[in-house]
Amino acid sequence: MATPTITRPEWSTVIDPVLQKELEQHVLVTNWDKLLGMVDTVYNWGRRSSLWPLGFGLACCAIEMICTASSRFDIARFGAEVFRGSPRQADVMIVSGTVTKTMMPMIARLYDQMPEPKYVISMGACATGGGPFKEGYNVVSGIDKYLPVDVYIPGCPPTPQALLNGLIMLQKKIDGEKLDIPLLGKHGNTPWYRTELDRDIPVPVLGPDLIDLRTVEIAAEKTAQGLLDAREATLTHPPKIAAPQRESATPEPAEPAKPAAKGAKKVKRAEARPSIVWLGNEGLSALAERLNAKFGAETATIIQAGLLIPADKLLVVARYLRDENSIRYDYLASLQSVHYEDCIEVNYQLDSSSKPGSLIELRVRTAEAEGEGEVPSVVGIWRGADFQEREVYDMMGVRFTGHPELARILMWDGFAYYPLRKDYLEPYYEGPSKVFDSRVEEGFGRHFRAEEVNPYGTNMKIPRDFKDWAKLDAAEDTKGLGLLPSGVNVSELDTDQFIISMGPQHPSTHGVFRMNLRVDGETIIGLKPVMGYMHRNHEKIGERNTFLMNFPFTDRLDYLTSMGNNFGYALAVEQLMGDDAKPPERAEFIRVIMAELTRVASHMWSIGFLLNDIGAFFTPALYAIEERELILDLFEWASGSRMMCNYYRFGGVAFDLPPGWLERARGIVNDRLDGKIDELDRYLSGNEIVLDRCKGIGVLTAEQALAFSTAGPVLRASGVPYDIRRVAPYSIYSHFTFDVIKGSAGDVYDRYYVRLLEMRESVKILKQALADIPEGPILPGKKSYQIKVPAGEAYSRVENPKGELGYYVVADGGPTAYRYHVRSPSFINLTALEQMCLGHTIADVVGILGSLDIVLGEVDR
Amino acid sequence: MSMGKGIVIGHLVTLRRFLLTFWRDIREGKGLHRRGGGYQKLDFWWGRKARGQEPVVTQDSKTEGLFTVEYPDERLPSYERFRVLPVLVYDTEDGNVRCTSCNICAKVCPPQCIWMTQAKGPKGNVVPLPEDFFIDMDVCMNCGLCSEYCPFDAIKMDQNFELSNYERHQTHIYSLQDLLVSSEFYARTHPEAWNSEDEVVERGKVAKKKDQRLQKALAATPKAAPAPKAAPKPVAVEKVS
Repeated sequence: MATPTITRPEWSTVIDPVLQKELEQHVLVTNWDKLLGMVDTVYNWGRRSSLWPLGFGLACCAIEMICTASSRFDIARFGAEVFRGSPRQADVMIVSGTVTKTMMPMIARLYDQMPEPKYVISMGACATGGGPFKEGYNVVSGIDKYLPVDVYIPGCPPTPQALLNGLIMLQKKIDGEKLDIPLLGKHGNTPWYRTELDRDIPVPVLGPDLIDLRTVEIAAEKTAQGLLDAREATLTHPPKIAAPQRESATPEPAEPAKPAAKGAKKVKRAEARPSIVWLGNEGLSALAERLNAKFGAETATIIQAGLLIPADKLLVVARYLRDENSIRYDYLASLQSVHYEDCIEVNYQLDSSSKPGSLIELRVRTAEAEGEGEVPSVVGIWRGADFQEREVYDMMGVRFTGHPELARILMWDGFAYYPLRKDYLEPYYEGPSKVFDSRVEEGFGRHFRAEEVNPYGTNMKIPRDFKDWAKLDAAEDTKGLGLLPSGVNVSELDTDQFIISMGPQHPSTHGVFRMNLRVDGETIIGLKPVMGYMHRNHEKIGERNTFLMNFPFTDRLDYLTSMGNNFGYALAVEQLMGDDAKPPERAEFIRVIMAELTRVASHMWSIGFLLNDIGAFFTPALYAIEERELILDLFEWASGSRMMCNYYRFGGVAFDLPPGWLERARGIVNDRLDGKIDELDRYLSGNEIVLDRCKGIGVLTAEQALAFSTAGPVLRASGVPYDIRRVAPYSIYSHFTFDVIKGSAGDVYDRYYVRLLEMRESVKILKQALADIPEGPILPGKKSYQIKVPAGEAYSRVENPKGELGYYVVADGGPTAYRYHVRSPSFINLTALEQMCLGHTIADVVGILGSLDIVLGEVDR
Repeated sequence: MSMGKGIVIGHLVTLRRFLLTFWRDIREGKGLHRRGGGYQKLDFWWGRKARGQEPVVTQDSKTEGLFTVEYPDERLPSYERFRVLPVLVYDTEDGNVRCTSCNICAKVCPPQCIWMTQAKGPKGNVVPLPEDFFIDMDVCMNCGLCSEYCPFDAIKMDQNFELSNYERHQTHIYSLQDLLVSSEFYARTHPEAWNSEDEVVERGKVAKKKDQRLQKALAATPKAAPAPKAAPKPVAVEKVS
């Protein structure tokens, strides 16, 4: 008989499971997982404290991202200040701003090139879910449609503090990582160590729309079914109005056209004038008579204070206006088009450098049907028409005969539609004008995402007859290929000429701008700008917004100067509203103060980053944007936001200045700004490196500057004293004494120096305005969201820090603008870029571009 | 001879700024003092404040340069008008939601990120309250037009910017419950606006109206208790601010 097993009582003690756990945790080191867990801690600590962001910015949020890296917020405290230009050295991608379809393939490529482990922070509403631009036709509704996002930062834009908060959230997430070590059989939550996983994102293709290759079969199937067409058939299309006719005929058709049911209200018409300061009615009729006498009757017909010119006579008339007319119209201020019921009208705002302020408007009309419009190109007369005509071609489909290079400019070749035509409905289209019924009608108040209304479930629209699905190729560069600078053919490259694509995520292109360079050695022999990487459909959305709603959108044009953008837009609509919206005096003062503060802030930024571009990495920029931070504080105090001020209203401003604001502003203007400008002047103006890199580089003569329609500091640096505040005074600028600064050489240095001196003039204006600002109301009447804008057309011009900012608005008496166009100085200044860069080196291109001071939000709109 | 002078000058500038910072403080006997507020130089962990009470760094216009704000531990001053996302205010005293679902905010919202349903009484009559209210934070552009034109001081812009999170599809659609904040909270974050004439007058009007309604309800027979009241007409705002 076997002896029974002796069990010692202490051996058989059942340990309390809680105690067991405690022991395992604190006393017993039992398994590999726990041992390696300590490695995790060290790993995570190292990783979280040295997150290197990829140095690329997409839109407005990028400016706040840069501010986060500047001295006030100092992202270096988190070990994340090393913004890397190359994705191969970066491990966190801060998607800062609107992700457009044109940019999306680039972002996917950048992401694929980043080494593992990589993290994505989606900064701001746009990157997260499309944001306010979601309804646009060129906007990706959320970066998470393509990339795995780790942290979302809501806000529009998130402030630097909010970005830091997001970074801390990411660090917390990294703290929770457990390593996968396949060799030891350790499983964690870091899939990038598993070799069998392919985590690359397939690069989407720019076909007739942005096509995600992962879902191409489903897209093809749905296209063949024509679901989108079926949906569009049920929607209300935007109405078209007839083009304005000759004065005598106008009132008659306008009245019966209106349905008599609603009391047959006559549409109130605004005074017919192209802009506030213009040639005047007598001058215009005299000019029309002269043209008729010279080129035969019916050459020039006055329609709504503009000259209607038959398309076949446009070139002779244009040449006459530029070379022979008593007022030489040598400056094409703006060029845009309107889609009417019966025609597409291309109109030209012309001004003269010898007699500034005598603005006139030319109209040329052409066939309305898609792809049939044809107008002779005026590039031979005003070089500045180049990009603007391409934009009209891109947006309206009007062909310009004789244009040297008529390719799409904002969208890509192959995009299936002409988006600004009234008959184009976007993928997320809901109605012709806001407010959308789904938001206010009873019973429809349930939330839905725009994705739900589109059959593809994403922002996509493909024509039903599209069949070339198999040919879609992610490697093809649809956007930039058509814009290779001439010279030898690419395939015939033999010795020393190269094509270099610079951008669109290059750190020194000031945003998502791209240049195709042809270089011979280091020398530039050809340059073609490729833009549209931030085209977020401002104008299309603007035609759906009510007049008031459009204010916050204008903030996001040139996001460094939102006050100035508000100003121009307010003036355009006030021009239509006439005396109903005449701002009281205090409001005028506030407007001027804000606009000039904006100018100082913007020029500071521009000078700082010009130095960045010529090689003094970030330190001068840090110094230069110090005062900008304080100015932004003032904006935030008065309007509620650092960057997106949304402060102006028709006839005034949104709020009165808060108590204490003026004292603070006086303190900053009187005590700080002068000293800061002196400091910049002292350190930079005579600095030998600045002189070496800027003098004689990127020269633009006065004639060229005018011909290219450049504006602002670029034009004035070339010696043309053309400042809208002087030549076409608006608001109360005529009350203040200031000088119009002009340079002489027209090189990078002069453009820098003009900006510097202009800041001094701005400070001069600010001191006067801050001393004289009266008490009083800030709006002419009660604040109302229902704004009645008489029918008519207006073109307002303001001297924004970047140059002449123009807003062209056609109103039809309804709550929304019928046509809304922005004449953006950054965009048009770029026309001269190739001219300035030829013969210089690649390093100079960066400096020249910096001296143009472009902001992509405005270039691409 | 002038070769490299600029580089030397450049370094001297940096050095000068570096030394000046300390020299200025020592000269003024503030060697251990920090300008602009925030933690003092010897405030280590024992001096740290709890979350929500972080010191604020304010900059006077005289001091050269710019103070670094060590964000999670220190804050920039938050200005009253600073706006991030909209919130809906309910009155602390009686819990009444101020919103009457008049739809004006949805009508002025530029990116159309507001959806709301009007509340219905049991008989299908309209009650001036929101049944539900959604704001899509991924579309909102923080422009503040909704709060500017709200005739009932019901929708206001919140100042909380610390909203980062790991997920968006569930959390970025704010419904009525997520949006509600008390008037007490609003008065704390927006003291100027709260004490401004417009809002005081508006509050008085609303209180009076409420009182009338109460009297009416008391006087009426219990059968007519759910006092049908027509939805207020969207009126132009009478704010001159």
